[in-house]
Amino acid sequence: MKGVDKVLLISVAVLLVAGLGMVYSASGVMALKKYGDSFYFFKKQLLWVAIGLSAMAVAMRISVPTWNRLALPLLGVTSLLLVAVLIPGVGAEVNGSRRWLRAGPLTFQPSELAKFALVLYAAASLARKGPERIADFVYGFFPYTLVLGVFLSLIVFQPDFGTAVGIAIVMLTLLFIGGARVLHLSSFSVFLLPVIYKLVMGAGYRIERLKTFVNPWKDPTASGFQMVQSYLALGGGGLFGAGLGEGKQKLFFLPEAHTDFIFALIGEEMGFVGALAVLALFGVVIWRGSLIALRMIDPFPRLLAAGLTLVIGVQTFVNLGVVVGLLPTKGLPLPFVSFGGSAMLINLIAVGILLGLSRKPA
Amino acid sequence: MPLATNPRGPQARRILVVMTGLVLLYVLVAFRLFSVMVLSGPELAKKAERQHQRVVLLEPRRGSILDRAGRELAVSVEVESLYGVPSEIENPHRVASLLSRVLGVPSAQLERRLDSSRHFAWIERKLDPERVERVKGLGLSQREVGFLTESRRFYPKKRLASHVLGFQGLDGQGLEGIERRHEEALKGEKGLLVAEKDALGRTIVSGDRNFRPPIAGHDLLLTIDEGIQHIVERELDSLMAEYRPRGAVGIVLDPRTGEFLALAVRPEFNPNAVSEHRPGDWRNRAVTDAFEPGSTMKMFLAAAALEEGIVTPEQTFDVSEGFVEVSGRKIHDVHRYGRLTFAEVVKKSSNVGAVKVGLKLGAERYYRRLKAFGFGEKTGIDLSGESAGILHPLKSWTVHTLPSAAIGQEVGVTPIQLAAAAAAVANGGVLMRPYLVSEIRSAGGETLRRFGPTEVRRVISEETARKLTRILSGATEEGGTGHKAALGDLKVAGKTGTAQKVNPQTGRYSTTAYVSSFVGFVPADDPRLLVLIVVDEPRGKIYGGEVAAPAFRRIAEPALTLLGVPPARPGSVVTVAMGPKNAGESVKR
Repeated sequence: MKGVDKVLLISVAVLLVAGLGMVYSASGVMALKKYGDSFYFFKKQLLWVAIGLSAMAVAMRISVPTWNRLALPLLGVTSLLLVAVLIPGVGAEVNGSRRWLRAGPLTFQPSELAKFALVLYAAASLARKGPERIADFVYGFFPYTLVLGVFLSLIVFQPDFGTAVGIAIVMLTLLFIGGARVLHLSSFSVFLLPVIYKLVMGAGYRIERLKTFVNPWKDPTASGFQMVQSYLALGGGGLFGAGLGEGKQKLFFLPEAHTDFIFALIGEEMGFVGALAVLALFGVVIWRGSLIALRMIDPFPRLLAAGLTLVIGVQTFVNLGVVVGLLPTKGLPLPFVSFGGSAMLINLIAVGILLGLSRKPA
Repeated sequence: MPLATNPRGPQARRILVVMTGLVLLYVLVAFRLFSVMVLSGPELAKKAERQHQRVVLLEPRRGSILDRAGRELAVSVEVESLYGVPSEIENPHRVASLLSRVLGVPSAQLERRLDSSRHFAWIERKLDPERVERVKGLGLSQREVGFLTESRRFYPKKRLASHVLGFQGLDGQGLEGIERRHEEALKGEKGLLVAEKDALGRTIVSGDRNFRPPIAGHDLLLTIDEGIQHIVERELDSLMAEYRPRGAVGIVLDPRTGEFLALAVRPEFNPNAVSEHRPGDWRNRAVTDAFEPGSTMKMFLAAAALEEGIVTPEQTFDVSEGFVEVSGRKIHDVHRYGRLTFAEVVKKSSNVGAVKVGLKLGAERYYRRLKAFGFGEKTGIDLSGESAGILHPLKSWTVHTLPSAAIGQEVGVTPIQLAAAAAAVANGGVLMRPYLVSEIRSAGGETLRRFGPTEVRRVISEETARKLTRILSGATEEGGTGHKAALGDLKVAGKTGTAQKVNPQTGRYSTTAYVSSFVGFVPADDPRLLVLIVVDEPRGKIYGGEVAAPAFRRIAEPALTLLGVPPARPGSVVTVAMGPKNAGESVKR
């Protein structure tokens, strides 16, 4: 722990504590009715936080060269898991999506691991190639589009469109930082547009979500329901909130109050002031992550730190953007706060690596 | 660190650009938050409030109550309830007058319900199928009115075990009996729906996101046996017809476990039509009312005296005077006898003999034994409104209390206390807690909780219980007060009671109002049934041996057949296998 970035550590710790409190508030009533134990989700979350913190402590101690060596094998394992999850009987199907691998009472989402593995791979490979070769389209840029294409396809198959879009944004940004030419990036994005269009138009619910995003009040009972309920929760919070545990929206109206829409509940119970504080904490995480990246002398740790900061930062923005109505509905959890194990584990490992890098010159 | 002039080249510059962009997006989120939470906050809060008010609660299907064999005693059936969408009804007057004719509700009253800007209003709930069809035939727009499925309590066996079951109130909760006591298990979980307007301005009352279906309640499995219950109900009917009493109670217990096999009460009521009855009709007198039991109490006097070892069954008492005087108060016998053994005192129910035994036993020992039998405290049965009865604390006993209590006066017992205490004698001296519910099951048939026999305490030794049973068997033989309870060759152990009621105006014992009772168990040597009959103010005949004892026989005989206990025929040979020593030994009965 010596010499690590204390500001980053404390910010994440506060978010974890706030998350535990809000998960209990959001799920207590529902858990009591469903499982006869109002602490059902809280206890599971506590377990995941404990597992995540242990993983963080381990990640912190792994050396930079070791991460570099792990990059490719981890990418291979991840691709196998992503294929495995699609196989009926191996991947657990929930609500029509195969996103989870089940091992006893624990479930794991390989797409969360994919975020991490891709960032690690890209950082290692970009650092090895160096800015000059990356600028070259055939040897520098093109291979990444292939790898990314395969991974995104596997994830879209689950289907988990939200995570795929999130990964695409993080990866393209990381390529940009690594030195890819803006011309290459923009032409690749232009190529992606028709693919995205086809995916959106091919799935009825995605069109609905998009229309809903444009005007949720048009049909507040069906597709716009979640959005409208999120607004109502936030509006009900006002400046100082209804008080901890006092939120009414979670009782029935706000679906996924303990997962994807937990920020709406934070708004309702802790008000604008509380929501802004949580937002600021995430701002601090990005600031400290960026600082760590900028301090790195070698390209690999620099790109790794930047990439991991992006993973957390982009996912946070997408989640908050959805809750406040800036983005169309996507099922992405809020890092450190939302109920859910895989994301918690991966995000805390990312923090562990950042903390390890932040230590005074090793 | 001077970031802008970082020397590490283009990567650092690009990191700065990206992260600054990300932070700007966060600032955008902050502005958006301010706009939604603070600027539009009050308006949104009002909307949320209105939404919470538009919630309509849907009743879940209430759990069924079943007898021990799973036969339905109380079930919930699905019925249709009619609602209106006032904001969509253009002409409330027309709709109200159309519906008024079908529903039989005054048009003005309906119009009031429909004349508002609300999105949802119940018009009439729980309609019978015929009226549902007629409403549908009116051709009203589905935008204006519609039906939702609710549930309604139905008691298929009508008045059978109605005092055990209780009934359901208008707003759905159980009001008496098991329905009330096990409300939590039975009620299930309410569903919700939110009445909202859709894009075209129609109010819609279905959909998935704004609808949470109700969750059915749990089923209860009772210890009651519908067949035996039916026998007891029928017997109480004929007692009511023959003696026109104010009320009556019949209880059948399995003395080995404390399970109620039947519990019937008069006056009766039909739980399907509660509004046609007065509250007194649905009061479960078996648990709420204490009465002075009279001579039935001598069973417990005898138990105490034998257990304390102050008498033997053969010991004799001089009752030839026909009365006994204690501190200036005379207690009389109905008949004149000479000398009676202790067993005969019980058999003939001699008051004089009982008082003499009581005086020999002493207040303290008698009081302690009565308490041990459970008198003066609730049995803890799962029915509401149980009375603890009256057993005055020892220190407030006067000189008259002991002789009175010896013959069952100055003590108040509830029928279930009496039945449970007598069952302890039948059960070899161990008092069992009487119970009615054996199992709670989920709607899917899965067992959630099981209730089994509970021992309260040992009250008397097995030896005492055996001696007492022999004495009580004498009471149903020739010359005993309870001989009309006899069941051919199956030995019956029991005790009669004929108690004078206290006249509430004078505060003295009445000479015309009596409570007749009989409590007994059969077969005496291996009890399967304990039956208690209490008849409140019978007319014509008054004696427990005349009124209640025959009812015991008429209940026990068919009930034993239902339980598969073979009647012992005269001269039949029964093979008793009691172990290697007696194996195969034939006993003539």
